[in-house]
Amino acid sequence: MLLAEPLERAIEELSKLPSIGKKTAQRLAIHLLKNDQTDVDSLIKAIVELKTKIHFCVDCFNLAVDDKCAICLSQKRDKTIICIVEEASDVIAIEKTNEYNGLYHVLGGVLNPLANVTADSLHIAELVKRVDSGEVTELIFALNPDSEGDTTSLYLIKIFKEYPLKLTRIARGLPIGGDLEFADIATIGRAFIGRITV
Amino acid sequence: MVLKQVELSNFRLHRSTSLSFSDKLNLIIGGNGQGKTSILEAIYYLCTTKNLNLASEKDVVTFGEQFFEVAGSFSDISNNKTRIFFDNILNKKNFFLDDKQVFRSADIYGKFPIVILIQSDHAITLGAPSERRRFVDSVLSQASHSYLEILLEYNKTLRQRASLLSLLKETNDKNLYSQLDAWTETLIENGSEIIKQRVNFVNEFNVYMDQTYDKVIDKLEVPRIVYNTLCDMDEENTKQKFNDAIASAREEEKRKCTNLVGPHRDDFIFHINELELKRFGSQGQHKTFQVVLRFAQFFYIKDKLGKTPIFLMDDVFGELDFFRAEKISEYLSEVGQTFITTTDFTRMEELNLIKENRIIKVEHGKTSYA
Repeated sequence: MLLAEPLERAIEELSKLPSIGKKTAQRLAIHLLKNDQTDVDSLIKAIVELKTKIHFCVDCFNLAVDDKCAICLSQKRDKTIICIVEEASDVIAIEKTNEYNGLYHVLGGVLNPLANVTADSLHIAELVKRVDSGEVTELIFALNPDSEGDTTSLYLIKIFKEYPLKLTRIARGLPIGGDLEFADIATIGRAFIGRITV
Repeated sequence: MVLKQVELSNFRLHRSTSLSFSDKLNLIIGGNGQGKTSILEAIYYLCTTKNLNLASEKDVVTFGEQFFEVAGSFSDISNNKTRIFFDNILNKKNFFLDDKQVFRSADIYGKFPIVILIQSDHAITLGAPSERRRFVDSVLSQASHSYLEILLEYNKTLRQRASLLSLLKETNDKNLYSQLDAWTETLIENGSEIIKQRVNFVNEFNVYMDQTYDKVIDKLEVPRIVYNTLCDMDEENTKQKFNDAIASAREEEKRKCTNLVGPHRDDFIFHINELELKRFGSQGQHKTFQVVLRFAQFFYIKDKLGKTPIFLMDDVFGELDFFRAEKISEYLSEVGQTFITTTDFTRMEELNLIKENRIIKVEHGKTSYA
């Protein structure tokens, strides 16, 4: 198949994106081609700024426009609590709940020796420094409930066990709007272990 | 649950085969290498997404073709269709449940329960401990989804921990020890749960073994499975013993870069009349035990899931001459939908064939009803 070379290149680049196949890439490329120049320009600008203007927060490694992210800079957040998450996308998920008003710490992954990720490749030393420097009183572990996430929590708990801190882990249990009878046994089991007094 | 019909395309010798089945006994007859077992293989795919003999999908495609496809429809409380499509060029297998793609085979495990009695079953009683673990894991996983999920997590933890052990040997980095401790803790957490469930399983399964033995053979033989693991029943105790064993194996684990302690090294010891089958059993006793294991599996899964599994017997009927044929036949009528392949036409009368049964002749990938 002979396509105009720029079109072929655009399809090739678009299909490198996650969950975009060859067909979707082709549809997107043709769509861009038909689109107004201004729309295309503003897309290009948005992509360029994404890479040039967004950095990792020097404190918590969340996404930030300046040195520090909006959450670390905010005066309204409770600076005594740090919630530990795997990726910046987890921050977005937790922020959407409006249930949490403390700070975050993005590890940048979880322990995964098979993929060559050990504690050194995660932002753990920085977390220790943050806790050492003072006002933190509670650490909340909000990692995924699988072997890698659990092991990372266990490893961090070992580090912070001796500190005068409250260490907590987010609860595991039934999804809102879910049916008890359709939930898998492991989840129901966990929900029972983590039951609360009402 | 019954399998109503299947369609095979480019599946080994079957270029295009379409079959409907009896709810009772389906007898598949034909000479060697005509494509009898392929039909069972196709049924196994529809129930599990997996190959019966762990063969490569590429070998299943008819020579010179680009894909194979198997589609089938099940009937239970509701009707379900499953379909598997393998693209030989992309080397990609897609599985569909009611036209929706299933991405994790664990998600349909146990939905279409199946029990298969096959020649290679001799490895369960005669082979290495891994064969017996695989048997127990497959029965438990079909019966309990939570067991399957924990087993998958446990196996992943084993790989992670082994990888960290190699890294430790390579770099000798002291900082890795505390990470190893964390992985060990996860291993013990998941491993203890596996041990607990296996203990319960063996206790329950022994009852099924007893009942089945009573029914199929005349001799007074008492079967028993003993679970051989690193500790006994009490749960708290399990974790402590697990921990101690792993602590004392630490140096050796580091040297060998493998996980030396845990339920992945368990064994299940089979006994007949208190004697160890592997050491003292006769050929006949081994064969009997293998058959009874499968029948017991059938009734165990049936009770656990409240769903009748499909029963497959591949080319073993001829070997069962030390059983009373009418007993087997009686048993099979209790079992529900059964598929038997055989080259042996002479013993067909012994099966007490009735009108509802179906006889399928297979000749070089072509099928006909007799």
